[in-house]
Amino acid sequence: MRGSRWIFAMVAALAVAAACSHDSIGGPPPARAGTLIVRLTTPHTDDGAMTFQVSGPPIDSAIGVNASLRLFTRRVGDSTIVGALVGRLASGAVVTLHVRDVGAAAAYTATLREVADRQDALRGSLTGYALTVAP
Amino acid sequence: MRTTPLVLLALLGAAPALAQTPAGGSWLDQVRRLRPVRTPTVATVKAAHRLTLSRSAPSVAASPSTTIDEHEPNNTVATADSASLGDRASGVVDPPGDVDVWFLDLTAGQFLSVDVDASVAGSPLDPEISLIASDGRTVLAFNDDFDGFDSRISYRIATSGRYYVAITGFGNEGSPQARYAINFGTVTCAAVGTEREPNDGPATATPIAIGDTGSGEICARDDNPAGDVDYWAFTAQAGTTIELDVDAEALGVFSDPFLAAYASDGITQLAFNDDEDGSDSRLQFSITTTGPYYAAVSTIADPGGNPFPYRLHVRLIAQGPGDPITVRADRLGFPLGLAVGSTGDLFVGDVTGRRVVRVTSQGVVTNFATGIPGPEGLAFDAFGNLLVVSGDGAVYRVTPQSQVTPFITDAGIPFWIAVAPDGRVWLTDLSDRSLRRYSATGQFEARFDAIDIGGFGPGPLAIGPSGEPYFSNGTEIWKLANGRPERVFGNAFVIWAFAFDVVGNIYAPAPAAGRITLFDSTGTALADPFAVGPDAPQAVAFGRDGTGATVARLFATDPRISRLIEVNPGGVARPGHPVGYVTPPFAIDVAAASLLGAGGLSPAELLFLDSIGNRNGRYDVGDLQAYLRTLGGLPSTRSKP
Repeated sequence: MRGSRWIFAMVAALAVAAACSHDSIGGPPPARAGTLIVRLTTPHTDDGAMTFQVSGPPIDSAIGVNASLRLFTRRVGDSTIVGALVGRLASGAVVTLHVRDVGAAAAYTATLREVADRQDALRGSLTGYALTVAP
Repeated sequence: MRTTPLVLLALLGAAPALAQTPAGGSWLDQVRRLRPVRTPTVATVKAAHRLTLSRSAPSVAASPSTTIDEHEPNNTVATADSASLGDRASGVVDPPGDVDVWFLDLTAGQFLSVDVDASVAGSPLDPEISLIASDGRTVLAFNDDFDGFDSRISYRIATSGRYYVAITGFGNEGSPQARYAINFGTVTCAAVGTEREPNDGPATATPIAIGDTGSGEICARDDNPAGDVDYWAFTAQAGTTIELDVDAEALGVFSDPFLAAYASDGITQLAFNDDEDGSDSRLQFSITTTGPYYAAVSTIADPGGNPFPYRLHVRLIAQGPGDPITVRADRLGFPLGLAVGSTGDLFVGDVTGRRVVRVTSQGVVTNFATGIPGPEGLAFDAFGNLLVVSGDGAVYRVTPQSQVTPFITDAGIPFWIAVAPDGRVWLTDLSDRSLRRYSATGQFEARFDAIDIGGFGPGPLAIGPSGEPYFSNGTEIWKLANGRPERVFGNAFVIWAFAFDVVGNIYAPAPAAGRITLFDSTGTALADPFAVGPDAPQAVAFGRDGTGATVARLFATDPRISRLIEVNPGGVARPGHPVGYVTPPFAIDVAAASLLGAGGLSPAELLFLDSIGNRNGRYDVGDLQAYLRTLGGLPSTRSKP
């Protein structure tokens, strides 16, 4: 029995060594909490409000990028939030997302649902609009 | 600024011997009087003075001292024949179209009498005479038929200088037989009837009992530049309503009397009327304190004009359920528009004072906003600001802190204003006879043509229980249904700014009639009169309590006597229909959550949200934006990218 126990100990040691070796040369990075920015691209200069949806890994919270934008959100399941953003919209950052892993930015999908001009009229087409999520 | 003090004085009627009060024919006329004064033309003067009547026994006489003959050509002011006071001149209007012009040099203060005798002496001439100012163009007075077909002018000379009298034949007729004599003199006359001259003030008033009829003559005299005023004194009991009724034109004579009622002090004017019955006057007013009262009869059209006899009837009349009235504030200048604040304070536009005053429930009057030219219609917007239509063509917004800024500036002649439950702002525009709709924040949205409604409309306007704008065209009330004017009902008198109670009954002031009438929603009179105590009510509004709830108390502006009055609350059966913006019973977060799929709002509430937004038939983000704006929560600064 002594020989078997020695062999087992050797195998375990090798296994641990191997594991330690893998760790030091390039496994998945640890999750890093932080913020992602939702950016709007618009062909118009008089957008006043929009509704949108962001899906992907969990989002802890969302806020407008400044006080001149008023944001309303609602969580739909674990992976989606929908929001309504009202204010003088323009191309650029519009919403800040607080997420648990900023490294997963590419996993988020943002979609525009409705846009209204500042006179309350709904845009008939969303051609030319885009919404992206990025650090 | 389009409002002129002169015209406003005329509206006031505060100086009864000098001023013309609104005839009540239309608010368009009244608004025009609030705007630029127009120089009268010869044609308009002639039209104003052309009256056909017959009268004998003239009480004005000149004493001819010299008889002079005309010298043709004398058809122009440049070739006029000379005459002097006391002269009797003669001439002939021949051929047809001939004009004989005479001139006199007169001194300010003289009371000229020009009396033509033609038909009275058998002449075929039906003369017309005009008194022309020193410029040779301006017609100061005109008369056709005073003594039968013969003519007479009495005129107080305001400025020393040369004046011209032109004589023509009616219809430009003339012939070698169309001879005339003309007497140039000064006015003298004596008391007639049951009046006791001198009775030109309350201290010398002629007594008259309620139920009696007095008679007298308005006859300007040389020692009274303002013209004759006959005061009558009577004693009345508190709680009664008195009618004063003057017949002068009704007697078949050229006349335009006016009538005023004064309180026991002989100074405080309680009621005033000019042309209730044609040119004759009639008024009613409630007696709040037992004691002596005074009726004053005079003439407006020309205080120093032709004398005329009259009869004054003093009657006790049946009251309406809204009588007696109570005076809530006085000395308000020319109070026209009326709006009630969310805590029950009353806001009154004083046209002549260029201000809006706040009247508390305790009757304390303070200036709320000043410097607004000719404030007319008033309404509170969705954010608690007072919107004021100004005589300068703009609508101003007055914050609760009394800051005044232009709000709507693209209407031509905006007149009346109302705010719908959805916060939208409605205006009547007299420049193109339309209704205009604006968003709650003042963006123009739509125009609705109202020319086809006829009359003088669209004038005063109110939002009905259905949320649709109702407006008057003068004697009819119309509403805008699906964007098209639809007649609701008509009335015998001009209806001013009316108000709805909770079941849709309409309280309609008729300023010319001096009463408020209560109609049901179809126009059937439920109480006529509802109140006769007001003098000339022009805008009515229901009161609100401290919580903002509309209550069963009805207030009215009474411009001619500068007062805000309240009708008897015992006669107001129901609370008023809520006026203005109605806050929906849900918060903005609820509205947003519903848009994002959380539900929580009824179909009616979703329809409401769409109605204040883009009205595309469904609730969307544009409507949320509009709702946020309506609640005052819309961010206003530009987003930083």
